[in-house]
Formats: sequence, structure tokens, C-alpha cells
Amino acid sequence: MGGAVASVAGRGQTIEQVDFALVGHQESWKAVADVLAVLRGPKHAPLPDDEIKDILPWIPPRAVCHVEVRSVVNAKTGGAKARGLYIDSFIPPDRLEAAYVRENLARVRGAAACAIKAGAKIASLGGFSSILIEGNFDQLPERHNTVFTTGNTLTVGFIVQGVKKMCALEDRNIGRATLLIVGATGDVGSGCARCLAPIVKRVLLSARNLERLRRLAAELEADGVQVEVATDLRQFSVEADIVICAASLASSSLLLGRVAPHAIVCDAGYPKNLSPSAEMPGARIFYGGLGQITGGLSFAPDFHGILNRHPFPDVVHGCLLEGMALALEGRFEPFSQGRGFITQERVEEIVAVATKHGIYLAPLYNADGPVEDKIDCQTEWVEGMSGEAKAPLGAML
Amino acid sequence: MEPVISLNSSAIQCTSLSSSAPIWQDVLAQAITGELLAAMNYTSLSEICDDPEEVADALEHAAGERGHAAAFAAEGRKIGVEVSSNVEGMHWKRLREAFMHCIAERDFIGCLIVQEIMLESFAVASYARVAKVGPGSLGKTFARIAAEEEEHVDHAMAILRAERAQDVQRFDEKVHRLHLDVMTTLAKMLAKECKDGHCEVCHGNCVKPSLFEVSLSAAALRGASLEQYLKTLDMLGLPGEVTLAWVAQLPV
Repeated sequence: MGGAVASVAGRGQTIEQVDFALVGHQESWKAVADVLAVLRGPKHAPLPDDEIKDILPWIPPRAVCHVEVRSVVNAKTGGAKARGLYIDSFIPPDRLEAAYVRENLARVRGAAACAIKAGAKIASLGGFSSILIEGNFDQLPERHNTVFTTGNTLTVGFIVQGVKKMCALEDRNIGRATLLIVGATGDVGSGCARCLAPIVKRVLLSARNLERLRRLAAELEADGVQVEVATDLRQFSVEADIVICAASLASSSLLLGRVAPHAIVCDAGYPKNLSPSAEMPGARIFYGGLGQITGGLSFAPDFHGILNRHPFPDVVHGCLLEGMALALEGRFEPFSQGRGFITQERVEEIVAVATKHGIYLAPLYNADGPVEDKIDCQTEWVEGMSGEAKAPLGAML
Repeated sequence: MEPVISLNSSAIQCTSLSSSAPIWQDVLAQAITGELLAAMNYTSLSEICDDPEEVADALEHAAGERGHAAAFAAEGRKIGVEVSSNVEGMHWKRLREAFMHCIAERDFIGCLIVQEIMLESFAVASYARVAKVGPGSLGKTFARIAAEEEEHVDHAMAILRAERAQDVQRFDEKVHRLHLDVMTTLAKMLAKECKDGHCEVCHGNCVKPSLFEVSLSAAALRGASLEQYLKTLDMLGLPGEVTLAWVAQLPV
């Protein structure tokens, strides 16, 4: 396991061994401003917004900070730990659209090259980077000794755990539920379908590509699952009780009339943009795919609450946690690659690795705050955070 | 301001750039001033070199930079403007002083860092931007000179990498010390607005607010220059997270 100072390069400088790299970007200009404010330090005034928007597109992908994650294994003796880097591709938050795919792929490639150059043994692709690369692994630079994972398997694990937990909290019988998955043919959506289809009454699959929908439906039906597919949510014959949005919806109003009034809605899209609204007052919305590190997480410089802008401490997106968990386990392998290969067995395997090192499902919350009635000390809400910080927008890790 | 020295240009080709000519005049004035300053720097460098090959190299570079200045001046005449230069202009003078401080300390490596890593990054990136929008031969001249300046950087990189390998910490501390002086001056020069008064190179009012008329912007020139600088530091092997913080702390 990592953590040791591996070599000495030149007099007076040691090069730290890099177990993992986390590749990401900021989702909002506020998040960018906060990152730059940390980098500028307290002696310098924060940059004006217009300057930030002028400067950001010119910053080449690069490491922003060092990250250390600690395991609960052998915690009494200091615990196992893994060291890594957070590498930002500096994709501007207003360029997360299809029109910028080529430019953004180049940025992710640049960030991947940084991970390789740093000698990272495993690199997790976070957020939009994962979406861009999941079907384009051949576009990553020559890898040498660095393996890449999209982290989607652990993301699926936390989504599934979250849905089950929410059903339990709401006293719902998941076995009688109709599950709708939006973005069902993607890597995360199809993984959720494989994990949850066997335990619900019926599955509704929605995505843009009908052919892929039919292939997934045939796979599930072969195991005796009742499946409907549609490219338009209005075409389904029944309302859903549980919804997993594995792709971002333009608006939560798209779900109106397609889901039961008190449906459980898991926003697992990227970026997360569903919020409790007057249009669906009875819906129980929560953010899915997030995990919490209980052994310890630290940044140098200190980006706590800046890179991981969640309302609970040490909460990180599952996609990035996968790389950290594998690094703690000393398993430097491309656990999640490609699209459509996530199975229930693989999900159980990665969840077991994460659990062993104290990485668990994060407390459930949404834009309004925690959705769990009983909050224990481990899931303590971070008091005093601004409204902006409570909202998930800009949460990179 | 001094007119540019010994110009052997061909016949003047006045083009139909009358409306934008004053803008190009100032763009060229900055470029010529930078080239003349580089020529002066290389000449100074030749005076502290012990190795005759290094002396010859520095003098050759100085001649090359003077040739660039002459080429830019010729482009000015083609569009009907006489381009001035002013190495005593506020920012350029400060940059020269920073270089001369290294000369006074007979710090050959420091001189290379200032000239090749910092000033040339600025030149390569900004010339390349101008080359994309510059009309006719003016654009081509900027492109050609940007490519030649890039070769200078490549040449220096080998020397600097070898120097860094001997003592990483000392080298990086030196780069940071020079960065604080030189890049702070360059950042002020590249700011969207000149907050410290007239730069003493533009022939009238500050050219920056007019750059959009020729599809340029001060913000893009600054962004491209800092991007090139960061990439050059990456190639030298400096940690990206460290150089990012340096650049983030520059004035705007």
C-alpha cells in the first residue's frame, strides 16, 4: 500500500509516491472562484468574476492539490493510507455541453497525461470526465503504469444502497414497486437496472437509443423481469414509484404525470439538478451515488469543503471513491471500463472493498438538506455552511 | 521614443488597412520593443559567458532578435505606419532591470530563466495569437517569428533541465524568485486595463480597448501567454500544483 516516500530526485526534494489520481473539474463558477481563492491565499484579494471567466479557459490541466485518504483497517495503529493527487481538467463550467465535446476530451486527455506523468498507479475519472471517457478509453494517452477507472461500479453501488435505504426510511415495499430508470442504457443506468430489476415488481427503461433499450430489456426479461422501454417518458403505461435519474433531466417537471405522487426519486445524474419543488410536493428526492470516508480525508493545500462541497464531512462522489478504495486495498486495476459491463457481482465486490476501508453510503440529502429524520454522529450535518455550500452544485469530489 | 534602427525594407506596400493601421502600429511597437530588449539582453549575456561557444551563441541570438525587430518594422511600413519602440517604457524597463540584476550576479541560469522561460513564453504565445488574425504578410511574419522564438526556448530547455536535475529545490526557488519579479511585471503589462498609467510604448491612448477591432483582446493575449508559461514550466518539470498557485497569485 502506498504512502511511503519512494525516491529522492535531486538534493533537498523528495518525490512522494502517488497511489491514486482523481481527475475532475468544477461545476460552477462559484466553485472555480473558491478554488482560485485558496490558491491565491489570504494575502491576495479574490479575483473578480470577469477575470476568473477570462483566465480559466487558458489554464492547462494540472494537479491542484495532494489528497490523503485513510482506512479504518488497523485504525489503532494509524490506519492504512493512500496518497494521491486531485487533477483538474479546468473545463469551464459553462462548457459542459455537447458542442464542446472535442475540446473537453482534449482536456481530459491532458489531465490523464498529468496522472500518468505523476506516476499514479490508479486514476479515477470524476463527473463529466467519466461520462466523456466511458465509451472512449482508447482516447486516453499511452498509459505506462497507470490504470484508469471510470468509478461507475461504486457509483452504482451507492445509488442502489441509497434507493434501498430510502425505501426503508419511507417504509415502502420495494418488491411491489415499479422502478423507472432515466438514462438506462448508460453505464450507470444499466448497472442500476441489473442490480435492482431482480427485486422490484416492474422496470421502466428510458433512454434516447431505442435499439440499446431493447437489448437491455431483452437481457433483463431473460431473467424473468417485467420490462417496458420508451424513449419518451409519456409512453409508459404505468406510473413509477421509484425513479433513478442516471442522466441529468432538463427539468424535474418532465417527471410530472409519469411518477406516483409520493415517488422516491434518486438524482444520480451529472450535474445533479433535481430539487424538491412545488410541482412534485410529495416526491422524496435525494442525491445518489455519494459515499462518505470515515477513516479520514485530507488535502494539501486545504481544500476541505471546496473540492468536496457536500453538506456532510468527507463525502465524495462514488466514481472517485472507487479509485481511492482500490488504492487502499492495493488493487491497482481498471475496475470499471467501457459501457454496459457493470453486474451485481461486480457491484458487491467493490462495495465490499469500500466498506472494508470505512467508505460507506453517504447520508441522504438533497438541495434542501438532509432527508433522513434520524442523524447519528457519523452523519452530522455541517452547521454554519452557507446556502451555496449546502447545495450540491460545484461538488467535484 | 526612438525609431527602429537600420531598416532594409523593400518598397512600401500600403494596403487598405487604414482604419486598423493605428492598432497594428501599437501591436508592432510592443513587439519591436520586446525584440530590441531581447537583443540587448543577449548582448549583455554574451559579456558574462566564459565559453566562447556560448558567447557566439548569445551574440547570434542578439542578431536574430534585431532581425525580428527589423522585420516587424518593415511590416509597419507596408501598412503605411512608422513604428516606434521604447525599451525605456515603464514595463519593459522593469523587465530589463530584472535581467540586468542576473547579469550583475553573473547568473547565467537566471538570465536564461528570465529571457527564455518568461519573456519568450510571452512572445511565442502572443505572436501566435496575432499571427492568427494579422492580415497578409503581417500575420505570416508574426507566425514565422513565433516559430523561431519557440526554437530558442527548446534550446534553453536542455540546459535548464540539466541544471534543475542537479538541485531541484534550489532551481525551483530561483524560478519562483524571478517569477515574482518578472511575471508580476508581465502580468501588469498584460492586464486588461493599464492601471499604472500609460505604458509609454503605444503611440496614443492605450491600444488594449481597441484590440477587438482586429479580433484580438488583452484577455486572450494574457491567457495564451500564461498558458504557454505554465506549459513551459511543466516541460521543465516543476510541479503543476505549485506553478498553478504562482500564476493564480499574479495581479490582474
